[in-house]
Amino acid sequence: MEKWDVVVVGAGPGGSYAAKTAAELGLKTIFFERGRRPGDKNSSGCGLGQRWWRDFPEIMEALQGLPSVRKVEMVVINLVDENNRLRYRCGTTGSDLCANRWPHGMDGISIYRRDLDPFLADLAVKAGAELRTSTLVSDVIMENGQVKGVRTEKGEPFYAEVVIAADGAMSTMARKSGMRNRWGGGCTLVPQLDFSADPEKMDDVIGNAEWVWFGALYGAYQVNFRDGFHIGAGQWLREDWDERPTDMVKKVLQFPAFQAMCRAIEAKPREYQAHLLPWLKKPPKTYTGGMMLVGDAAGFPCPLEAEGIWHALTSGKIAAETAAWAISKGDASEKALAEYERRWKASPLGKEHEFGPEFVDLWNSTIFDPKLMARQIQLLLEFSMLHPFSVVFDWGDAHIDCFNQHLEHLLDLAPQFADFGRTYLAPLARGIWPKNVKRILLSVKPRIPILGKLPDNTFLRLMAKLSKSLAPYLDPSINQEAPVPREVFERSRAGRKR
Amino acid sequence: MEEIKLEFTKLVKRVDVDKTGDFIRYDESKCDGCGLCTKVCSFNLWSLKEGKARLAPRYQELCLECAACWEICPMEAIDFSYPAGGTGVVIEHG
Repeated sequence: MEKWDVVVVGAGPGGSYAAKTAAELGLKTIFFERGRRPGDKNSSGCGLGQRWWRDFPEIMEALQGLPSVRKVEMVVINLVDENNRLRYRCGTTGSDLCANRWPHGMDGISIYRRDLDPFLADLAVKAGAELRTSTLVSDVIMENGQVKGVRTEKGEPFYAEVVIAADGAMSTMARKSGMRNRWGGGCTLVPQLDFSADPEKMDDVIGNAEWVWFGALYGAYQVNFRDGFHIGAGQWLREDWDERPTDMVKKVLQFPAFQAMCRAIEAKPREYQAHLLPWLKKPPKTYTGGMMLVGDAAGFPCPLEAEGIWHALTSGKIAAETAAWAISKGDASEKALAEYERRWKASPLGKEHEFGPEFVDLWNSTIFDPKLMARQIQLLLEFSMLHPFSVVFDWGDAHIDCFNQHLEHLLDLAPQFADFGRTYLAPLARGIWPKNVKRILLSVKPRIPILGKLPDNTFLRLMAKLSKSLAPYLDPSINQEAPVPREVFERSRAGRKR
Repeated sequence: MEEIKLEFTKLVKRVDVDKTGDFIRYDESKCDGCGLCTKVCSFNLWSLKEGKARLAPRYQELCLECAACWEICPMEAIDFSYPAGGTGVVIEHG
């Protein structure tokens, strides 16, 4: 019986990068794809962000030449009110900081999976991994409670020292090994509608940008490729689900501004897709005896915007390196593979999930709650009228009077939004780095009578004593460049009760 | 303003639909008739009859393989695998 060092289930980005890494480390590796070729079964938002230039620069360089690629140099946000009217359009290309942070600044790319997935699988094959396509892996082989290999739908067994499960949100491997069943509330369903469009007209009208449609009652992201785009609208699969997925994407098609854009770039509906996307406060357990989960199978997508391809590659790489380490020790038990979790938690992937629940709670309660969303859009529109450009535009009266009228209107509305701010925005403050909180306090210090004359350290100690909300940031033992740990806030709150 | 006309079921490409095998298994005895599966399916493949969910007999010809029915079923009455390797939906612009 042929035995493999590593069996990887799935040839999406996570599986292929795990297979590539394992093969490069000299491990005998095979990976499986249920489609006729990698990418056949995959759809997603497909945006590869700036950190790809930091972590996978050679891949980013090579991808630039593929047919579906459109650069992303800007994001454009469209706010639409409950009457489907476009009310505000704004965009950003980032600041000077972004331009200097990575070699390519804010630039990313959008790429269809039919280009990306085969490219990544090919890297693994070139590194020496064997790829089996049109092969559905349908079961795990368990011995004494530990995963020892996998079985294909035709019953063919593949034994391995370590199995890496990169088989997506529904992960058959996680289910069959008893790690979990369904996600039970933490998973979204994302219907996507793809359009063909004229590439040159897209250059003129859309440019190198991602678009987002924020409607008062519904919204969608618009990912732009070279010769088309798709819109996607997700929602958590929960018991209050009340809408057919096709109707969710249809609503965006009713926006007159969306229709105008479609006419301008000669857009025609081309393909409809739907996929599961885990969008969790934090990933559950990602390993068991003999097996590690990567990418969507592990629940790794970003808690703020549910990007998952970078997370798949990063976790695939760490899983393969952990497999090599475990094999060299001759121990792939559950205890040994706990090393995988230690490693991903210490990596940029782990950092991403340290501030997860706050982001997910915000989305849960706002964007995906139509009533709150309608109020949020209203608030954003009011704010937008205080923007210098908007003040210039409002010549209903003397400009400074217009400004004051808008300010007054916003102040009138403030009580309505106080609750919203306290409940949904305030928890995000935990993410502000302590050193930035200190800088803000010290910048206002000189303007405070009497206290303004105190030495900085005495002033900060006093602030910590006066305010239990500020105390956690001002604790001298705290890491200055990371969100304050949740426990520190909880301790501070408990202190207040006593 | 002219509306964008859509027939979603025609916007999906498939291969070897007759070879997918039976990839959704449904245990009617576990179903409590909540109807969530009928709401999350893009193509109406689930319906409610006499307090129980029913799966369209020729679901293989229309299923998007999204597995939303499996994920949402609180009674875990729906078991979803995937079509046989190399068959079913082919996504060209995902």
